[in-house]
Amino acid sequence: MKLLIIEDEKELAEGMMSYLRHERYTCEVAFTYEQGLQKIDTTDYDCIALDITLPGGSGLKLLQDLKNNNKSDGVIIISAKNSIEDRIEGLKLGADDYLVKPFHLSELAARINAIIRRKVHHGNNNVTFNEIVIDTSKKEVTVQNKFVELTRKEYELLLYFISNQRRVISKNALVSHLWNQEMGRGESVDFIYTHIKNLRKKLQEKGSGDYIKSIYGMGYKLTDQ
Amino acid sequence: MKLQTRYSQATIISSISVLLIAGIGYYFLLHYVLNKQLDEALRVEEVEIVDYITKKHALPEATTFKDQRIEFKKVTSVVPRRFSTVKVYEPEEKEYELSRQLIFTVKVEDDYYAASVTKSQEEIERLVGLILLITLGLILLLGILLFFFNRFILKRLWRPFYDNLSAIKQFDLNAPLAIKFQQTRIDEFNEMNASVNVMTGKVVRDYMSLKNFADHASHEMQTPLAVINSRLDVLIQDPGLSETSLHQIQSIYNSVEKMSRLCQSLLLLTKIENNQFTEKKSVNIVEIVKNKLIELEEWTQENLITIKTNLDELNISMNRQLADILISNLIINAVKHSNADKKVEIFLEKNSFIISNPGETKLDTALIFDRFWKSEYSDGTGLGLAIVKHICAIYCFKLSYDYKEGRHFFRIIFNAED
Repeated sequence: MKLLIIEDEKELAEGMMSYLRHERYTCEVAFTYEQGLQKIDTTDYDCIALDITLPGGSGLKLLQDLKNNNKSDGVIIISAKNSIEDRIEGLKLGADDYLVKPFHLSELAARINAIIRRKVHHGNNNVTFNEIVIDTSKKEVTVQNKFVELTRKEYELLLYFISNQRRVISKNALVSHLWNQEMGRGESVDFIYTHIKNLRKKLQEKGSGDYIKSIYGMGYKLTDQ
Repeated sequence: MKLQTRYSQATIISSISVLLIAGIGYYFLLHYVLNKQLDEALRVEEVEIVDYITKKHALPEATTFKDQRIEFKKVTSVVPRRFSTVKVYEPEEKEYELSRQLIFTVKVEDDYYAASVTKSQEEIERLVGLILLITLGLILLLGILLFFFNRFILKRLWRPFYDNLSAIKQFDLNAPLAIKFQQTRIDEFNEMNASVNVMTGKVVRDYMSLKNFADHASHEMQTPLAVINSRLDVLIQDPGLSETSLHQIQSIYNSVEKMSRLCQSLLLLTKIENNQFTEKKSVNIVEIVKNKLIELEEWTQENLITIKTNLDELNISMNRQLADILISNLIINAVKHSNADKKVEIFLEKNSFIISNPGETKLDTALIFDRFWKSEYSDGTGLGLAIVKHICAIYCFKLSYDYKEGRHFFRIIFNAED
């Protein structure tokens, strides 16, 4: 899987690269409009993380070029702008998703995974982690072919964990993935514990290993090691 | 008072008073000069009489001729020579007339006679009167002329000024269009228009940059926050981190998040102030309240908060997004700050939305809707209620706060339904 990050803030681009440079991904980076254009022209990527304000031109222009050349690269816009108009404009131009800064890298990874699932693995919507299988088209989870009944939040949690498998995910990232921004965080963080507890129980009941580990109460990690 | 009227008054009053003073002065001067002439004529008569007596050693005949009368009266001694103005009875006209008289003493043989020569002033009076009349007529004419001049000419002269003034009055900072000034031939007006143009240009630029400042600042802060967040996300992958380090990181995460929420709220506030939410349609408030309550269900159940609602159908013409924010901020505010019996009540009736939640003390009514005001229990941004206030302000909704029987009441009275 090939990813391209087009982001002028080097610090951010490097952070994104070092997180996304997973065993399954190769990750390239462009810091300007020109560099981005060059890379897009010469290589096909599975997904592009695109900043809108770039030195030398707008990211939206790059997106247009991409679509005009009938390229099928998935695109997720990462922008500091959080207005409905900006979102609509980006999605109209053919972006697959829109992520507002600041974001958690686990959120970015989860969304990139979703785009790649849709774009690249047409038909095959299964996400797996050892014996756990998620059919994302039906939103169904099975462990060793046994159906696991999950609530919407538990399902979202599991998918998020598998998208960021073997990574530590902070509680803050989980909360902002599951709930709207507005509520006080202190309280929401405690709900996470309940949801994870239930999820673990349900998975283990069907014979899955206990993969979700708490990391000193500040985050969680899905791991089989 | 209009400048035109003031100017008109000033010119008319000053010119008429100058003319009146001049007229009066003219009258007396003329009077004086003509009297002098009359006295001269009397003196000529005197010389003639004295000549006659010297030659003939007898008194001339006392005569009355036209306006002139000569009389002699025997006196015992010399009388002092003097000019005087007297009233003389005129038998022909049967009235007293003002006359000028010269009395002097003549000596015939050894007898003294007081001779008096009298000339009527009537002619002079008539002349001066006529001149006075003409002068007054001229003053009146001038006054009328000035009045009409001021009325029409001045009005025309000042017209560009008033036109431009009304153009300036229509200037609106929120929709700044360059003021269209009429070109005139009057330098002062053109100069003023140019200055006003320069000034409004500067005001508009400053206002825009001020308006955009919060917007830009909030945007610019998002990227560094994203850097911090992403670096932390990478950092926590390090298996060598101790529990203490991870707890430090947790606290950084929380602060970044708070900062980010603060920026978003500030941005929203600026956008509301800048009237960037123009789209308007009929919004079903009941639906918004219900959706919000579903979103918060988990939270309210977990915290044992009961929500009592009494929702009458209510449609308000406003921006959908702002309606969401308005209702959501008030509900979240009430839910978050509920304690003790934890009962939140929401009423939608007629034209108002009322939400109440239990609270220990009355909040400072003067401050609660201010930016960055927070109660001591709040961990929010301090902008939620400020945003509510601004949304209400742009739609002219009436927002009020009240504290009764241990409960906070927030009430919005919407405008008449449409």
